[in-house]
Formats: sequence, structure tokens, C-alpha cells
Amino acid sequence: MIYPKTVTVVGANGTMGTNVSAIFASFGNATVYMVSRDKEKSKKAAIKAGKSVKADSIQSHLIAADYSMLADCVKASDLVFESAAENLDLKIELHTKIGQSLKKGAVACTGSSGLSITRLAECYPEETRGQFFGVHMFNPPYQLTLCELTASPYSDMAMYGELKEYLTNTLFRTVAESKDLPAFLGNRIGFYVMNEALQYAEKYQDNGGIDYIDSLLGPFTGRTMPPITTADFVGLDVHKAIVDNIYENTNDYVHNKFVLPEYVQRLIDQKKLGRKSGEGLYKLIKNDSGDKRMMVYDIKLGIYRDEIKYTFPFALQMKKHLRDGDYDEAFRVLINNKSQEADICLRFLLRYIVYALYTAELVGYDLRVADDVMATGFTWCPPFAMMEAFSKVCDLGALMKERLHPDILSNVDIDHIIGEQIKSKYDYRIYFKAK
Amino acid sequence: MNKKIYIMGGAQTDFERNWTKEGKNMIALLKEAVEDGFKDANFTMEEMVALNKDNRVAAFVGNFIAEQYISQGHLGAFLTEVNPAFYGVPSARYEAACASSSVALDAAITKIEAGEYDVCIVVGWEIMKSVDSKKGGDILGRAAYYEKEGKGVDLPFPKLFGRLADATIEKYGLDQERYLNALAKISCINYANAKRNPLAQTRKWFMSYEEATHRGSESNPNVGGLLGVSDCSQVTDGAAVVVLCSEKYAHEKGLKDLAFVKGYGHRTAPLLFDKKIADNANSEYVLPWTRQACLDAYKRAGLTVDDIDVFETHDCFSSSEFAAISAFGIAEPGKECEAVENGVIAFDGAKPINPSGGLIGCGHPVGASGARMFVDLYKQVTGQAGEYQVKGAKNGIMLNIGGSATTNYVFIVGM
Repeated sequence: MIYPKTVTVVGANGTMGTNVSAIFASFGNATVYMVSRDKEKSKKAAIKAGKSVKADSIQSHLIAADYSMLADCVKASDLVFESAAENLDLKIELHTKIGQSLKKGAVACTGSSGLSITRLAECYPEETRGQFFGVHMFNPPYQLTLCELTASPYSDMAMYGELKEYLTNTLFRTVAESKDLPAFLGNRIGFYVMNEALQYAEKYQDNGGIDYIDSLLGPFTGRTMPPITTADFVGLDVHKAIVDNIYENTNDYVHNKFVLPEYVQRLIDQKKLGRKSGEGLYKLIKNDSGDKRMMVYDIKLGIYRDEIKYTFPFALQMKKHLRDGDYDEAFRVLINNKSQEADICLRFLLRYIVYALYTAELVGYDLRVADDVMATGFTWCPPFAMMEAFSKVCDLGALMKERLHPDILSNVDIDHIIGEQIKSKYDYRIYFKAK
Repeated sequence: MNKKIYIMGGAQTDFERNWTKEGKNMIALLKEAVEDGFKDANFTMEEMVALNKDNRVAAFVGNFIAEQYISQGHLGAFLTEVNPAFYGVPSARYEAACASSSVALDAAITKIEAGEYDVCIVVGWEIMKSVDSKKGGDILGRAAYYEKEGKGVDLPFPKLFGRLADATIEKYGLDQERYLNALAKISCINYANAKRNPLAQTRKWFMSYEEATHRGSESNPNVGGLLGVSDCSQVTDGAAVVVLCSEKYAHEKGLKDLAFVKGYGHRTAPLLFDKKIADNANSEYVLPWTRQACLDAYKRAGLTVDDIDVFETHDCFSSSEFAAISAFGIAEPGKECEAVENGVIAFDGAKPINPSGGLIGCGHPVGASGARMFVDLYKQVTGQAGEYQVKGAKNGIMLNIGGSATTNYVFIVGM
């Protein structure tokens, strides 16, 4: 059984590297070498790591290190986790180095959100190539338990099984086994929805664009945060890297939904990368008196303007029903309301269900994985739970055939895709908020 | 017990949820809990309407202090907002601080035992995340003698249970470090157990012995005397529902293999903490009335601690679970440390306490906690506790306390 006593995290001063170090040191009770370019940065990251799991006591398990110490750290480690920037050349360089020092029997993994695991495995010498895996966690991992586990064709499958058990039972991760395909499972589904929302914002720029679309896909549609706001939080550069990777390396029925809208590229060019750079799709302004004012990028005008507080009758009615716990009534409103906004909203949800199940069939080994990735990686109502909610008030198959675009219906066999009646282990009521 | 009171079923909400953040009100909470409880009990709204025609069904609502948390009283009447099937069903609210839903259970059991009703629905609930922690702490001060022990005190309850820790050390002449380490282990067991419970509030949280003994640090600050945050139960939103029935009803419906209530104990100790501790001078127990409530329940059930397979206790603080160990009779008074250190109360121990995670791990929506423990005992003795099932559990006991161990309620449930 795998129980790493010593772990090295490479790129430990990045947000993910820091938070993952904390997961190994806390739940894993491991001693963790935190390696980054500068030892001082590693020290600061160690303090942040303790905060991220609300346990300062793990400080004593964290050892700050820099790249000059990488070989020694790797030699001493039972598990090495690379969490460097999402750049294939950089990762190839790092894994080649790690491969030179990795112990026989130790595990090496990358936290890559979508690069080829097979290609990275090839950085390792033949005798340790089987010890390499993709272990993609979501940020922040203390709150989001999803972990996508990917083997390469070279992987030692006995070790893979043990690693899965360690991630599940020791680190308390929700392990989603994924094939080695671009962006794996969760991001392929989630960024499809987010990028399509960005495209819709452009399409509906005369209606308001960004805040218009976000307002009709808010928490009352089964998520904590609207999708365009999520992209702003993720960072537009990261968003671009993910959708570009999927667009360039896959070709399924939603291929053109992964095209980054021109206005997003424009914002990236202006270094307006989202929440982390102070402005992006949204811009939060704090004045001297401490008042906050949320601005939004107006695609049509090319400037930031005050966010509009839209009040769509269908959304108001849904929220009212959700507030009282009348979920069936809320879904009836969504299905029966004839406004353009309700129609856009409903179709988004239906397309999400279909693509999530389609992707799970393609990229996963078990359809149920679609629920795990969306619930524990995105905190969105997962597809099977959402199907359950719809099915209480309508014939979901008939609704999909009525509302989905012919292009989807001609590419996807709806009866097959929603045919498998899987009882979700997630409760849809938690995700549909009265907000 | 003169008659058998059967447990048809029950349910709790997911204690991780924050209903205020979800934008949902108490009606939503009650609807979900009642729907899930009825489903588990295989009981329907239609059946309730039919029974109500002959005045055979009643509802009992446990809640501590919604007047403060959400500015709402007259709580017994709110089930009519859950479903019109409750129109005309007798219902009222019962209150005894954190033991509120145990009083509701007691009333329901008594009515069935008296032959007044055949089906009784017990709903315990509390919404607590509607206010900030300072205000919440002040509200909870009303479970003590507010004017003398709560008013103007920051977080009065951690301080009271910190004093219970002091009183325990003093009474038994315990080594302080050993005692505090035992409390840390109690917290760790509860957190670890919560990881097996899919409805526990802290199921994703991290806690280790190292962190639990790291009191006084930024992540585990001292909150009441010797106690740290890791020694405390949580601020929780939630509800729990129990459906009970008479022998007559079970017979009518051909219901078989139901768990039933074997015994109960109910004792009220002096309200003021100082008087409570002064009152134990002639007892071996630090909380003699808590012990007495356990003895009463054992006597009514005709059982001893040897017959009990699973325990759910009121670990509002680790110091109260410590005192419960001897109150249950798992260890001699003053010898509780051994039961903790030797793994007796661990999940795989001989006398597992709080396989659910308890108040520290599963959560503590105060007015729901008694009903939640009761649901957990029912799940355990009927083999439905899933990953946190104690193998082969046939009898379970619960201790639910209100205030600083002032109201003491004990129920024994079994097959």
C-alpha cells in the first residue's frame, strides 16, 4: 500500500502548489519539501499552506526548498508532485530532471489540468516510467475534493490502484478516473459551459452581454457562481489556455464552442486577466469610503460600466419557489416560461447535461464520474442529479428533443445518452439556490 | 416502558448546508426534512390526512430559539406551511435549550404510551448561521442563566464548559496535560467518525491529534479556559425528523422488525454552573444528574451498559463527552482517560461513542440535535448507518443535554 512519508511538491509557491502541499502535509501526514525558484518564496508559501487547511500545526511538516535542491528532495521522496505553470516545454524539462533522481517504487505525478500524460511519462527513464501519473486537483483543494487520476500506457497499474486508494482513503479526494485526453473530464465539461456563456455574451451584447448572461445563469440554476464570473475568477489567461488546448486537440460535436471570443482575447492583450489583475470581465471598484462598486465590461462599448441588476420574471419566480423549498415549482417555471431569457437558461442546462454525459462516456470509465467531477470540482449541480430534478416535472427526453438545436440532436443520441437511469449520490436541492 | 413505541423511520438534513447562504427559509428546511423523514418511514401525507380524521396523529416540534436567530415564534404552527396535510394536525413547539427535540420526543412517546395518538411526528430544527459568531454566542447564552452567566460575556458557553474541564480535573485530581490530551483525542475521534457520515458538517475538514493539542495557536485558539476551538461543536443549520407509532398502528399496517424505544431518563440539574458543581460534592460524578438520567433509562429498559452496542452523546464540547463516559457507565468516574486512551470509545472500540461524528463532527443545530441522535440510533440498530455502521448493533443509548448539563435527556433504542 502507498503511504508516502516524504513528498516533494515542485512549483510549491503557486496557488495550487501551496494548497496541494497542505493536503499532503495534513491529511497525508507527510513531510513535504516545497520547491520553488526562491527559498524565501517557499517559506512564505508554507505559512499560506497552513492557513489553507486551517491547521498551523502542519508547519512542522513543511520544508522550504529551491530548485538547486530538487535532485536531493526527489531522491528522498516517496512521491513527487509537479505543480508548475501549464507549459509543456517547462514540464518536459522538469520531469526529465525528476526522472533522473526518482527512486524506484516512488510515485511521480503532474498536476497538469490537461496536457498529455503520455508525453510527460516519456520524460522518465524506462525503469521508472511506469511510476508516473496525472493527478489533477481543483483549486482550492481543501474545499473542492475532486482529483482526476490518469494513467499513461506505460503506467504500472498495480501502483495506479494503490495511488487511487491513497488519494481516496488517506487524502480524502473524490477520485475521477480519466483517460489521457485533453483537459480530462471536469474542465472539458465546465469550460464548455463557461466558454459558451462567453460566446453568448457576445451574441447578446445588445441586451447587456456579460452581466445579462450571468444573470440568467446565476446560483438559482444550480451553482454557487455564474459561469462568466467563474471565468473571471479562474483568470482569462488560464481560461484561454484550457479552451485553446481543447479546441486544438479534440474534435467533437461542440468543437466551435471552444473558440475563445475575440473580446476576451482583447482583454487578455490589455493584461486585463480577471479578478487576479483587478479587472477583466468584471472590475470591482472600491472608493475611499470603502464602498464597493461592481463594474462590468460592456462588449459593445468596449468600456467598463456599472453592472445591471437584471430582474427577469422567470428568475424572480424561480427564486421565490426555491426560497420556500418548492423545487418542482421552480422547474415548472423554467420549463413553461416563454421569455427569451428562460429559454436561453433552460437550453444551457439541457446542453450541459448532454455534454457532461457525452464527455463522461468518451473520457471516463464510468458515467457516474460526470456527477463527481461537476459536484466536487465545480460545485455545480451534477448532471444526474439535475436530470432527477427535471424528471420530477417533465419528460426530459421529450423536452431535450423539443428545445435542443438540430445540430446537437443529429450528433447525439438523446435516448441513449439519458437512457441510463443512474441514481445520483448528490442531492440536487443543495445546488439550486434562491439567489 | 409500559408499551412499545415503534420507530417507523427518520432523517436528517445535510448539516454542511448554510440555508441563509442558499437564500432559503425555515419552510424550505422543514419541507426537505419532513419529505425525507416520511420517505424513510414509508409514511405519506395521504396517510396522515386519513389518520387525522380520527385524531390519531400529532406533531411535536423541537427548537431552541428561533425568536432570536430568525425572529420567529409560534413554531408548532409552521408545519401547516410545509404541506396542507398538516392542517388540523395537533402540533406544538417544545423547548429545553439544546435538549429541545428530546422534550419533543418525550412528549410524542408519552402521548403514544397514553394511547392518545397512534403516529407522532417529531421535528427538531435550528437555523443558526443567520447571525455572526459573536451574536450567535450571545444568543446561546440564553441556554444558561442569561442575566448571571451570559449577558455581556463573549462566548459564554465555551467558558462554562471550560469550567467543567477545570472542575473535572479538580474533582479527580487529574494530570492536566493527560486530561487535555484525552480531550484532543475525543475531538479527533469525532472528526474521524464524521468522515464516514455523508451528512456530517465537518466531513471534508482536517483535524489531527497534533492540531487538536496545538491549542493557543492561530488556527486553534483558546476559546474557554483550557479549551480550544478544536474542543468545540459547530455552528450548524439543520433539521431532523422522527416518525413514531403505536403497537396498534404497527399491527394494523403489518409493520415488522421495527426498532423501538426501550427506556428514557430525564433529570434537571441546578441551572447555575456554580450550584451544579457545588451539588456534586457528595457524588462520585462530576455531573450527578446526568449520571442519574442514564441510570433511570437503563432501569426503565431493564438493561445495563453491557447491553449497549452504540452510544451517541452530547459533545457540545470535548469536556462534556469526557463526563458522559462515566455517566454512561463505560468507565468508573475519574477513569475516563483510560477509556479514551485504550480505544474503548473509538469507532472500532468495545463501546463506540458518536459513530456519526457527534456534535463536534456531525454538527450541532441545537434544536435538532436530540432528534438527530435518535435518528442515528435508529439507523444503527436497524443496520442502516452505511459506512458508519457499528457492526451488529442491537441497542443504542443517547445523551442530549440542555444548557451546561442542566436538562439531561437519555433514550435507549433497540430491536
